[in-house]
Amino acid sequence: MAGKIEKWYPGEGKLTTGKAVLYILLVLGLSAACIRMFFGLGATTNLNDAYPWGLWISFDVLAGVALAAGGFTMTAAIYIFNLKKFAPLLRPAKLSAFVGYLVFVVGLFFDLGQPWRIWHPMVMWNPHSVLFEVSWCVMLYTTVLAIELFIIGLERYGQGKESWIKFFREIYLFLAVAGVMLSTLHQSSLGALFLLLPQKMSALWATQAVGPLFFVSAVIGGMSVITLESLIASRVYRRPPKIGMLADLGKGLGIALLIYFAMKVTDLYARGTAVWVWDKPHFFFFVELFGTVVLPALLLCFPEIRRSEKGLYWISGLAAFGVVLNRFNVSLTGYIGYRQFGYFPSAIEIIMTAALVAMAILIFDLGMRYLPIHPVGEGALGKEVGGSP
Amino acid sequence: MSKAILIDTTKCIGCRACQVACKSWNDLKGGQATFSETWSNPRYLSSNQYTRIVFREISRPDGRLEWYFISRRCMHCLDPACASACPVAALVKLPSGPVVYDDERCIGCRYCMMACPFQIPKFQWESAVPLVRKCTFCADRQAMGLAPACTTTCPTGTLLFGERAELLTEAHRRIGLDPNKYYPQVYGEKIAGGTSKLYLTPLSFEELGLTQVGFRTDLGDAPQGLRGREWMSKVPLVAVAVGGLAVGLHYFNQRRAAIEAKEPKED
Repeated sequence: MAGKIEKWYPGEGKLTTGKAVLYILLVLGLSAACIRMFFGLGATTNLNDAYPWGLWISFDVLAGVALAAGGFTMTAAIYIFNLKKFAPLLRPAKLSAFVGYLVFVVGLFFDLGQPWRIWHPMVMWNPHSVLFEVSWCVMLYTTVLAIELFIIGLERYGQGKESWIKFFREIYLFLAVAGVMLSTLHQSSLGALFLLLPQKMSALWATQAVGPLFFVSAVIGGMSVITLESLIASRVYRRPPKIGMLADLGKGLGIALLIYFAMKVTDLYARGTAVWVWDKPHFFFFVELFGTVVLPALLLCFPEIRRSEKGLYWISGLAAFGVVLNRFNVSLTGYIGYRQFGYFPSAIEIIMTAALVAMAILIFDLGMRYLPIHPVGEGALGKEVGGSP
Repeated sequence: MSKAILIDTTKCIGCRACQVACKSWNDLKGGQATFSETWSNPRYLSSNQYTRIVFREISRPDGRLEWYFISRRCMHCLDPACASACPVAALVKLPSGPVVYDDERCIGCRYCMMACPFQIPKFQWESAVPLVRKCTFCADRQAMGLAPACTTTCPTGTLLFGERAELLTEAHRRIGLDPNKYYPQVYGEKIAGGTSKLYLTPLSFEELGLTQVGFRTDLGDAPQGLRGREWMSKVPLVAVAVGGLAVGLHYFNQRRAAIEAKEPKED
């Protein structure tokens, strides 16, 4: 049984400063997690009765899932819309999606008051509850992603298991369609959670269209994270960046940003929301709409920016940041609890979130090294050779 | 038939016997009283405090200063947002009136606290094994044929326990008898789909400054949970539509690519 075929990148296995920092964060996070489990949420977080949801819900859960939307976006592009030219981006997208959902599940586990009951929605049903649907979809989709990674793993480690590979090839369309369907449902339903509390939110985000808006912005988040991940990976693993392909993907990102902008403007206009006001929610709103939707869309219009590495970094960075900011605005900054209460995350909340990000990067790196994520023939410092998805 | 409590705040003297009765029956720890500009003690509802009285000193148009006392607790909505929100159905509206909570089901996600338009469910933050707590409408006492603890102890008849329909008739009778004494609307009759707590007040809730402490008046007459349920009713359709569309487009695009590959290339 072959292990690794080659060194995936020069200097692999050496402890670099970056990795040391990630490991330290992970250890800190584990200690924080132990403290949280022993002493409870009240003692370790700054959450209170007026702010029952905080950093963990806004970042780990809402932003994490939106940024992990690349998996289903690329699956849809390649298997449903037959855009085969993006095939080399599919496997990294699946890996990053799986890592993103892992962050979600671990983050949610520690956020629950009774984490050991995380399985309750499986047997205790409330079909009226949007959160019930979200928990089922996330559960099923994480399983789909795990199976997809398992199939990828079989390719390298599955000699003698050809019948398995054949079986999975046969059901693959089913998996792909299930993934797209489940993602469409829960990405939009995460927004629909906020349908119940429009009065508690700033009018800028309290809309009946929050579900579709969440879906489109998740597609934006997914595509920008794929771009970022591809650029960073090619730098870290010393491979030529796939600028041409990413510039093409950028066109898709541009269309998604335009659709999102049109939806936002239509929604605000239809509800007659006061936009030109200067206060804290509006500041966040302007940054979100103009800084992270309009600006990257404009940058994408210039081919010389779209086809440069630096330009792509900026475009996808801004767009991804915008999705995160939107999730914070909907769930935290735009939420008005009791006026006498405020909320700012505690050190433990921040450490555990940082540790989750470190965990995501480390697992992603592990996956890149031990799974055939990139097409065959694309060896270290080698020339890029197209392969099958 | 559904039970309710009519709270005629014009009769309340702010003695807080209801708070004490609630604590005794539910076996809740006593809290430390503190001074604050609100006069109310305690200042907030919590997992250890299911009901409290909001104190209000209002200057009337004729220059008189008047004290008003408004009991705050779970409204026991007819169609509760918390029950629509809860993913594990830990919160349920009983046909007899109370909105009850099942300790064994709750996972501690706190979506009920986000969803409740009256900001009622409270969390046991101090516990490592926390649960949600709120007024139970003494569902346990009602099951034994007893009235809720607070209503049995109220010395002035502010809290009147009975059938919701009858209490509404009574509330409107009182308003009709003395229109100068009461604000002409019963808070809880229609708001958020109607609640099992019905409030008679001398002034509007805005004038009493109650919208700041959880008694919202901007909720409309539709229950909050309805929006979530409408969304959920569309989910099966969306699932089938997206799934069908995905499969259809897959074969359509495959076929198109196959035909394009076969056709001679025109330059």
